[in-house]
This record gives sequence, structure tokens and C-alpha cells, in this order.
Amino acid sequence: MSDRHIVYLTDVKLITCVLQSGLAEEVLEAAKNCGAQGATVSYARGTGVRDRMGLIGVTIDEQKEVVRIIASAEQSSRVFEAMYLAGDLDTPGKGIMYMSDLEHVATYIPENIVSSAGQ
Amino acid sequence: MRYGEFVAKHKIRHTELSYNLLTPKPDPSDTKSMRPERIQVSATRAAALLGPYCSVRLMEQLKAVVPLAGYLLIFQLLVLNHPIQEAFSLFVGLVAVIVGLAVFMEGLNVGLMPFGTIIGDNLPKKASMFVVLVIIGILGVGVTFAEPAIGALQAFGSSVDVTKAPYLYELLNRWTLPLVLIVGAGVGLAAILGTIRFVRGWSLKPMIYWALVPVVILTGYCWLDPNLRSILGLAWDCGAVTTGPVTVPLVLSLGIGIANAAGKGNSSLSGFGVVTMASLFPIMAVLALSIFVSFQISPEEIIAAAQAQSSAVVAEPTVWDQTPVSEVVLGVRAILPLVLFLMFVLFIVLKSSLPNRMVTVYGLILSILGMCIFNVGLTYGLGAIGGQTGSVLPAAFMELPISPASPIFSEVVGLIIVIGFAFLLGFGATLAEPALNALGLTVQKLTNGAFKKSMLMYSVAGGVSVGIALGIAKLVIGFDLATVLIPLYAVGVILTVFSSEEFVNVGWDSAGVTTGPVTVPLVLAMGLGLGNAVSAVEGFGILSLASICPIIAVLSMGIYIQVMQSRAPKKTATSIEGLESE
Repeated sequence: MSDRHIVYLTDVKLITCVLQSGLAEEVLEAAKNCGAQGATVSYARGTGVRDRMGLIGVTIDEQKEVVRIIASAEQSSRVFEAMYLAGDLDTPGKGIMYMSDLEHVATYIPENIVSSAGQ
Repeated sequence: MRYGEFVAKHKIRHTELSYNLLTPKPDPSDTKSMRPERIQVSATRAAALLGPYCSVRLMEQLKAVVPLAGYLLIFQLLVLNHPIQEAFSLFVGLVAVIVGLAVFMEGLNVGLMPFGTIIGDNLPKKASMFVVLVIIGILGVGVTFAEPAIGALQAFGSSVDVTKAPYLYELLNRWTLPLVLIVGAGVGLAAILGTIRFVRGWSLKPMIYWALVPVVILTGYCWLDPNLRSILGLAWDCGAVTTGPVTVPLVLSLGIGIANAAGKGNSSLSGFGVVTMASLFPIMAVLALSIFVSFQISPEEIIAAAQAQSSAVVAEPTVWDQTPVSEVVLGVRAILPLVLFLMFVLFIVLKSSLPNRMVTVYGLILSILGMCIFNVGLTYGLGAIGGQTGSVLPAAFMELPISPASPIFSEVVGLIIVIGFAFLLGFGATLAEPALNALGLTVQKLTNGAFKKSMLMYSVAGGVSVGIALGIAKLVIGFDLATVLIPLYAVGVILTVFSSEEFVNVGWDSAGVTTGPVTVPLVLAMGLGLGNAVSAVEGFGILSLASICPIIAVLSMGIYIQVMQSRAPKKTATSIEGLESE
């Protein structure tokens, strides 16, 4: 057996937020202010409501920004709400977001943090 | 209360709703389509959607136009102590520029760009390389017509003094159509070569050398002929005018599509180089055209014809001169040929259809409408402001009949103030250009962070401001354009020899990027107004100086970075690591 070792993080949530392009920056800022450690932003193209609205659909940008944030279960709903408010998702055409449970997560975690958290 | 419990608490009111209640129930008879229906948008919803949509696009242009125009007007009002004339029509004109550009850019993105992408993706599959190149060449002409800034050249032609610069007058007044056509032909040729370069993966350096040789020879020829000398400013300025917001993205999207189809689209640099070519070939084309004109007609004939015309036409101004109808006609004429040609290629050559017809038609209508509004604003807003400030600018250092207080300062102080004004104008205008920001980001990515975005932006802006200051100095002091331009280009070429391929691509392209649809008319009009006021032969040349100086600035910055990198290899390694971990 190898002497290498994995620390599994549990109680982790994934928040995914699909936004009209250009809105990611504000949403990220809000998430970080609520304690989110980091985020992945990717660019995507969306279809859906936009195509079913006729000409008024041009007001919604086809290009999307997808923000993905991994948060602890405790902080997750607070981060989620902050992102929702910062992105103005309560107005039409801005975007959609969802939260999902993650079974477990692994990454590099410094030794001292692992040991201090265990106590 | 534990911290965790506090954090987990919801901040805002919320309710839960099962999505099952919202989705359609499966139809037992299985006859109805499950496809979601079309959404009816109520007026208030539409307003909520339209509000941010419009304001974002308007703000973008507002940020580009207002600081520049404001700077000019405040300088005129406070430093030159000259009242702003026709303030109302200026204001309306500026609003027209902002609205026109916003509408036009949206139309370009929604209407014209999809054409470019579809054609670029499909054309190489269905047509031979030769047909592809011919179509790209014709497209180059079309996009030049559609370029908002090209209208500025046509609009300001009448201000040239026929007796001092007969050929310049002739070209700008009676040869405007051939002039724009030949500039377009230059862009077309550049687009063709750029595409071949995409596919074959040629280096840009030899292309620059080979393009510069005929340009320099023709420039030398024109410079030696005293009648043709005045044409040089116009010719070199044309290069800067052509590379605007229509040409660059459309030609690029085509070229990249073709390079992808040829399987050579991997190089991150493939997007560069077209802009450089598109700013060098038009110079050559205009020079060739003016030499051709010089064989056709003698200066005496031009002067005689112009004088006969001016004495004949002085009669009352027609409706056309008083209303913006002519600008609207110009706008339609600028876009329509391009649209018709793109449609021809798409429907006849490719036999394909548009994916989203209604939205594309909407975009095309917007682009024509925007062009018309912008053209009105060009004449009454940007052109008028530039011309007004330019014509009172010399009041700082010499006596002007229109300004009672002139000369405001002593000659030396006045000159310094005017040149400083030009320097700041160039700096601000360049930093405000959105295309430069985009270029900066690309460059930062390309060089793994060694060439920072801010570094590129400041070196380009510095270059442009030196260029504009030099250009103004040229008009005021009256030195010869060629004697400055040729040595500057020589420096550019020498720097090119020593630079790496990436920096050559970026450096030579940065010149074209800086001259957008707001800066060009403003600077052109200011130059012409200033030229008239100090009775210089012609007011062109500022833009050409503003193109070469940033090239030199970026290339020398690139060489400096290369030297620093080779001296401190460890430091760059960490900076790349830092970028990756982001």
C-alpha cells in the first residue's frame, strides 16, 4: 500500500449559477464576502426561454457565465442567498442557480489544518 | 448560539414550490407535443427586460464619447476662453453619436456577425480556396464601406483649400467613391493575405517588410512631386481609419473559421496580423490612386474646375444641405452593399439559410438605423466639436480673428499648452477604447502574464498620445510629415527585426485597435480645423503618427520584457505558476 493519503471532506455543497454574461463578477464578489473560498467561472451558451420569446429574446444574451462554488453545508445557504441577491436573479432574464449535495471532496489540505480540525 | 447555526440561518424570506406542479403532465393519448409553448411577454415584463439591455449598451458608448467631447469643450471654454457655439446642435449631435453607435454595435453583433461566422465555417467546405479568397476580397471592400469612421473622410473633404493642395481636394471631392473603393480594395487584399497566412502559418515579419517596401517607394515618389506631397497625410491616415469595429471582427471571424476548416486554427496568434495588413495596404492603394489621378489631370485644371464650381453652386442651399437626409442616405449606402453581398454568398453560393431569421433581420435593421443615426451625429456632433476646438486652438499662441483675447499666452507657453492638450487627448481617448482592453487581456494570456494588461494599455496610450502631440506639432510648426513618418517606420522595422513573433503580432496590431469610431472623426476634424486656422496646407497626418508611435512603444516594451526575462528566469517561472494557480 502506498503511504499517500486522501482526506475526504464531507458536508460539502456545490452552488452552480448560470448568469447572463457580464454578471459573474458581482456574484463572485458577493459570494466571497460571505466566506466562499474560491470559484470556477466558465463560459457557455444557453438556450431555452430566450428562443421562446420571439424578438424580445434578443434582450437576453446568448452567452452565459457559469459560476461554480464549493461551500460547506453550514455556509452554503447564506452564500446561495447572497449570490441570488447580487445577481438580481429575482428579475426576469438574469439567470438561474441551484445547489447540490456533494458526496465527498478531496484536494490538498495542509497538514496543520487537518490535525487542528480533528481536535 | 453556535457560529455554524448563525451562518446556516436564512437571511431572506423564502417559500418552497414543487417543480412537478410547473411542468406539463404527460399526455396519455400521446398526441400533443410536449415542447414548451411560446412565452407571451407582457408589457411590464418587456420593459423590465429592455431597460438593462438598452442601458448597458448605451452606457458603453457614453463612456467612450462623453469624456472625450467633454475634455475638448472644457478646454475650449476654460483655457481658450472661447464660448461654445451652437451648443444645442452639438448636444443633439453627441446624443446621436451615442445612440447611433449603441444601436449600430448591437446590430453588428446580432445581425452581421452571425453571417460572418456561418460563412467562415461553411465556405471552405463548399467552395474552392480560390473562390473563398475572392469572396473574402470583395468582403474587404464591403466592410470598409460599412466602417463608421470612413464617413468622416468623406464628410470633411470640402474643407481642403484647392489652391494649396489641388490633388488632395480633387481626391476628397470628386474621387470620393474611387477613394473609398480603393481603400476597400486594400483592406480586401489584406484580408486575402491574412487568410492565406492563417492557413499556411506564415510569419508576420516578412509580410511587414514586403508590405512596407512599396509603401515607402510610393511615398518617396509622391514626396518628390510638390503637387502630390500634400496627399501623403491623407494616404497614411487612411490606414488608421479602415481598421474599425466592423472590419476587424468580421474579417477575423471569417479567417478563423477558414483556418479551423483547414485544420490550422490552433495557434493562439492566428487572430493577429490582419489588422496590420489592413492598415498598410490602404496606404499603398491611396498613394497609387493619387499618382494615377496626377497623370489624369493637372493641378491647374483642378483649380479652374473647383473655382468654376464654387462660383456656380454658391446659389441657395438645397433641402439636402439643411437636413440630415444626406447623412441618412450615406448610412444606408454604407451598410446595404455589405448586407446584400453577405446574403448573396449565404443563399446563392452556400445555399444555406439563416438559423434565426427574425433576430438577424432585426440586427440588420438595427445596423442600418444605427449607421444613419451615427452619421448624423458625426456631422453635427463629433465633427462639429473637433472642428470648433481645432479652429480656436491656435488662439493659445497666435492672434486669431475669431478670438478677441488671442494670443492668450506667449508663443512658447501657448505652444506647450496646445501640445500638452493633444498629449492628454490621445492618452485619454486610447485608454477609453474598449478594443484596447480586450487586446490587453489577450496579450496577458498569450505571454503567460509577462506582458501585463495595464502595461500594454499604458504603452499603447503613451504611444498614441505622443503621436497625436507630434501630429498637432506638425500642423502648428508646419514640418513635413514624411520626414517624421519615414524615420519612425524605420525605427519600427528595426525593432521588428529584434522582436519575437508574438510581440510583432501584438505591436503592429495595437495601432489599428486604437483608432475607433469616436477618436477618428474627432481627431480628423480637430486636425482639419486647426490646419485651416493656422493656414497649413492640409490637416491630415495626425492619425498616421498616432498609429506608428504605439507600434514603437509596444515593440520596445516587448524587447525590454524579453531582456528582463532572460536576466531573471526564476522570477518569470514563479509568475507563470502564480497565474496557473489562479
